[in-house]
Amino acid sequence: MKFLLVDLWPWWLGGIAIGLLVPLMYYFFNTALGVSTGYGNFLKIILPSTKLKWLNSETYKNKFNWRFVFIIGMILGGFLSARVSGMPITTSEMGLFTERLDYSNIFYIIWFFVGGALLGFGARLANGCTSGHSIHGLATLQKSSLVATVFFILAGVITTFLIRLILFGGN
Amino acid sequence: MAKKIGFLLAGMFFGFALSRSGASDYNFIYYMFTGENLKLALLMGTAIVVGAIGMIALKALGNKDITGKEIVISKKPLNTYTVIGGILFGIGWAVSGACPGTVLAQIGEGKILGLLTFAGLLFGTYVYALMAENNPKL
Repeated sequence: MKFLLVDLWPWWLGGIAIGLLVPLMYYFFNTALGVSTGYGNFLKIILPSTKLKWLNSETYKNKFNWRFVFIIGMILGGFLSARVSGMPITTSEMGLFTERLDYSNIFYIIWFFVGGALLGFGARLANGCTSGHSIHGLATLQKSSLVATVFFILAGVITTFLIRLILFGGN
Repeated sequence: MAKKIGFLLAGMFFGFALSRSGASDYNFIYYMFTGENLKLALLMGTAIVVGAIGMIALKALGNKDITGKEIVISKKPLNTYTVIGGILFGIGWAVSGACPGTVLAQIGEGKILGLLTFAGLLFGTYVYALMAENNPKL
């Protein structure tokens, strides 16, 4: 049990578990694996009387539909994982980033908010995120997902290079 | 209702697997992008292959879902926005050390800064909704 609950899963186990979700989602629910569209559900919950066309499209007719439930499940899954593996209940740390940099909280707040904004806007423009495009889209052999994934990784590699060079002083 | 519980369980399984695999860990994302630790890239590659084999199996079994309905693969469009969105998303991935899925696992794990990434995601989605108002191509 320690292997599954306390130690980090090896890459192949995580890969098999996550990969199986693609056919399972289609078999049980006839829907594509994907997360980022569900952020629109949360916007609709925060802004119930919005007049924006996009938030009143068919996708968001029922803001508490499966996408909402799926997202809540993912948060619970992370919570469970943290409990069985003995992580602290909350932490203000974020790996190397908070370890190597000693900036004020406002810097971290802005940094992660901006990162999230790029993810949210970019995912909608590209029509999917890491799960919808890179896992589901590539597993179903879609050209659009290959293009999106190549640019996700390319931009990620260049940005990380710049973060290391400029913020981490090249270390 | 049974379906809702099914989605909740599927989400929990996904969040749990991401967290247990280290996908919600900033350092694994960082070292994947520097090329120093390719664990998450290998994980993604495995997931794609397993997913593709599963889809072939479903097709061989008649391409029907559990209720007997034809399975319809959701097709994603390819255009300039795929590239622009892909680049912006990739920058966001490296900046936040998360993606729209793993940030949810981070929040469950109690990472406070994950909440900021989540708030940013809502904001970015809202900006898209504003732009889509006057751009029929979006």
